[in-house]
Parts: sequence; structure tokens; C-alpha cells
Amino acid sequence: MADMAHLHGNTYFRVFLALCGLTVLSVVADLLSLADRRIIVAIVLAVATAKALCVMLYFMHLKFESGWKYVLLAPTIVLALALPLSLLPDVGMHYYPQDTRQSREFARLQADGDSGHHSSEPTNSH
Amino acid sequence: MGLPIPNSKLGMWLFLGTEIMFFSAFIGSYIISRNGSPGWPTDPHVTHINVWLGGLNTFVLIVSSYFVVVAHEKMLVSNFKEARKFIAFTLLLGLVFLGIKSVEYAGKFEHEIIPGKIPETPTEAMFATASRLQRVVDRELAAIFPGSPAADRRTELGNRIASAGNETATTDPKDAPPAGKAATVAQLKALSRLNEAASSLENHVRFGLAMSVTPEQLIEYRSSPTPGQFPAITLADVNSFVESLKKDVDLSPILGNFHPAVPILYGNLFASNYFLMTGFHALHVIIGLIMFLVILAMGSKLAFRHAVVVENVGLYWHFVDLVWIFLFPLIYII
Repeated sequence: MADMAHLHGNTYFRVFLALCGLTVLSVVADLLSLADRRIIVAIVLAVATAKALCVMLYFMHLKFESGWKYVLLAPTIVLALALPLSLLPDVGMHYYPQDTRQSREFARLQADGDSGHHSSEPTNSH
Repeated sequence: MGLPIPNSKLGMWLFLGTEIMFFSAFIGSYIISRNGSPGWPTDPHVTHINVWLGGLNTFVLIVSSYFVVVAHEKMLVSNFKEARKFIAFTLLLGLVFLGIKSVEYAGKFEHEIIPGKIPETPTEAMFATASRLQRVVDRELAAIFPGSPAADRRTELGNRIASAGNETATTDPKDAPPAGKAATVAQLKALSRLNEAASSLENHVRFGLAMSVTPEQLIEYRSSPTPGQFPAITLADVNSFVESLKKDVDLSPILGNFHPAVPILYGNLFASNYFLMTGFHALHVIIGLIMFLVILAMGSKLAFRHAVVVENVGLYWHFVDLVWIFLFPLIYII
């Protein structure tokens, strides 16, 4: 394929090095004990997206493919979002007061933590 | 008119389109159910998630993806020997990935991180520890009395101990049950004690009474339960009871690997999601390895016209890598 001429071994190797570096970055982000977990979540998801783009654009050659890639991939992405979005109001956001054995247990753990007492029920024995 | 790509490559991309929907259904519902579950387990000591093994596997897949790209490049310049070499390397790395994955799965199974088996509250953990202890007794009894029905083994244990104390009792070899694991009288007595301890634990847990409550008090409580009459059992109570059993010289050989159950809030939902996502991913790795084997089986017949085959298998393999790139942070880090 003529469009492959855009690529040669060197590019692939640089993409490979970038992927390795990004993987190290996400492990380092995990080891940093940042107070706000949301920063770590943002970092590792951004890193994963960057890695995914590297793989798709270069290893899977999408950067050099013509317009068919949009026609083929755009509908799948719309459909892929449908299930998570349909689960969101009920399972994700609970538009009703939640009353399950897990939510009661979580409330009990929170209450124990707030009152400053050590729980009489250790959650981890070893 | 037509697309400027070979039909087989179009076929592979259409298939990958369905694969995007397949995996995003799992990953998407994992993210949503996790966000809707405050208290989701994240402590690696509880979930037995190891960020180093996950990171290593990420690295293994990235290297293998790179090798597939190199193999395809070698195909395009008609260097088939080199192409086969890099495909073989990829195959090896895929096996390494599965090896590391099975180490992780084995760790989960050892700690009973299995969907539907995980206690989520302290009370459930107490019941789980009691039933695990009973299972240890059952296992030991099955080893010593393999021929007897499970229900009779506890009675047989008592009989064996009694007859061992009685020198004159002899058994006709014809009547002897099939020989199980040889056990000394001391071992039999230890097992009998463990059996009593397990039953006692089970009863105390069932009635919710502290281990300090005596058997007589337990009977009293059973006949007329009065709440608050006796101290209630706690998970700490159960765990220290198990610790004292493990410290016992006679029982420690039996209980060496015994772990009391740890409650994991949302543990079952976590385990279902974990095994669903990583299991289907591992299945994809296995299928990819089969495709590499098919290419390698062509041996010296591998020719320039197969470059598109290597490209298509490569596309599939990169997709498998891509899924792992998202699974790694979502499962191992966040």
C-alpha cells in the first residue's frame, strides 16, 4: 500500500518508546499518594487515551487511511455509548434513595469513621 | 467503485467495530456500576490486585504489538524469515501475558475472590470463616476416610480414636475400609478437636453470641432467646479465635494456609466485573495466539501475498492491546 510509505521502522520504534514511557507514567501516578484521587484518575485516563491514540494512529495505520474509517467507526462509537448511558440514571446516579445491604454497611462504616471510634469490625485481619 | 482497501481488511475492521461495542459494553457498565457503589474496594490487600503484575503485562503487550508491526514491515520487504521470527516472538510474549494472568487468577482463587462467594459485611464474613473451617475439617476427614460417606466420617473419627485407645480391639482385614491417609492417634485427636472448634464457631456465629459464651449458656439462649443477655459476637472475636487455633501446635499443620474471611464491600460486583473483563480479554489473547500459530504453520510457504494476512492479524492484536491499555488503569490503578 502506497500510504505505508509514510511510515518506516524509526517511527514505529519511537511510538513504541512513547508507549513504554506512558506506561511508566501511569504506574508512577499510582505510586504518588496524592490527597485527591481524582487527579490520579485524570492522569491515568489521559495517559491511557494517549496510548490508545498512538496504537490506533500508527500501529493500526488509521492516520494514513482515507475517509472510510469515519464511516465505519463513528456508528460503533455511538452504539458503544448507548449501554453505559442507559445504565447511568439508575445504576450510576441512583435517582431514588438507595437501600441495599451494601449501602447500609457503607453508612455504618462512615458513621464509625466519623465518630472517631475504631470499628469493632476490622475490615482486614492480615 | 469500492473502498481503497482489500476486502479482508474491510472485514477485519467491521469485526473490530463490533469488538469496540462488545468491550465498551463491559468497560462502560463497570465504570457506571463502580461510580454508583460508594465504598467500592480499592485496597490492594483486600482485592489482591497487583499493580506491578498489571504494569508488567501492559509492557509485555506493548512489546508484542511492536513486534507485530515489525513483522508486517518485514513482510512488505519480502524478508519472510525475519517476519516469522518476529511473529514467533509475539506468540511467546502472548504466552508470557497469559502466564502472568494465571498467576493473578490463582491468587484470587486462593483468597476466594470469586463472584458470589465473597462476604460483604462483617456478619457474612463470620459465617464464611465458620464454613471455611468446616470445609477444612471435611477435607481432612475425606483424606483419612476416603471410602466412607461424608455424613459418617465424623462418627468414624470418634470410633477410630476410641479403638486406638483400646489395645484389644482388632479389625478383621476383610472388614477394613479402604485405607486412607495414615494418621497417628495424636493427629486424629487434633482433628477431632478442630471439628469441635469448628462446630462451636458455627453455633456461636449462628446465634450471634461471643465466643466467651459457654456451651451451657448457648443452650439456654437457644431455648429462650433474650436479646442482650449475652455479649454479641464480632468479627474481631472470630478472627482471634481462628488465630488461637492456628497457634495451636497440633492444629497448625492443618491450618497453615487457612485465611479467615475478610468482608469486601461490593466484592462480588468487583469480582464479576474483574473476571468478565479480564476473562474475555484473555480469550481474545488466546484466539490471537491461534492466528499467529496458523501463520507460523505456513513455514517457508509464507509469501508476499500473505502480507495482508499479517496486517489483519496485526490489527486484531493491536485491538487486544488497546483493550488492555484501558483495562490496566481502570482495574489496577483507579
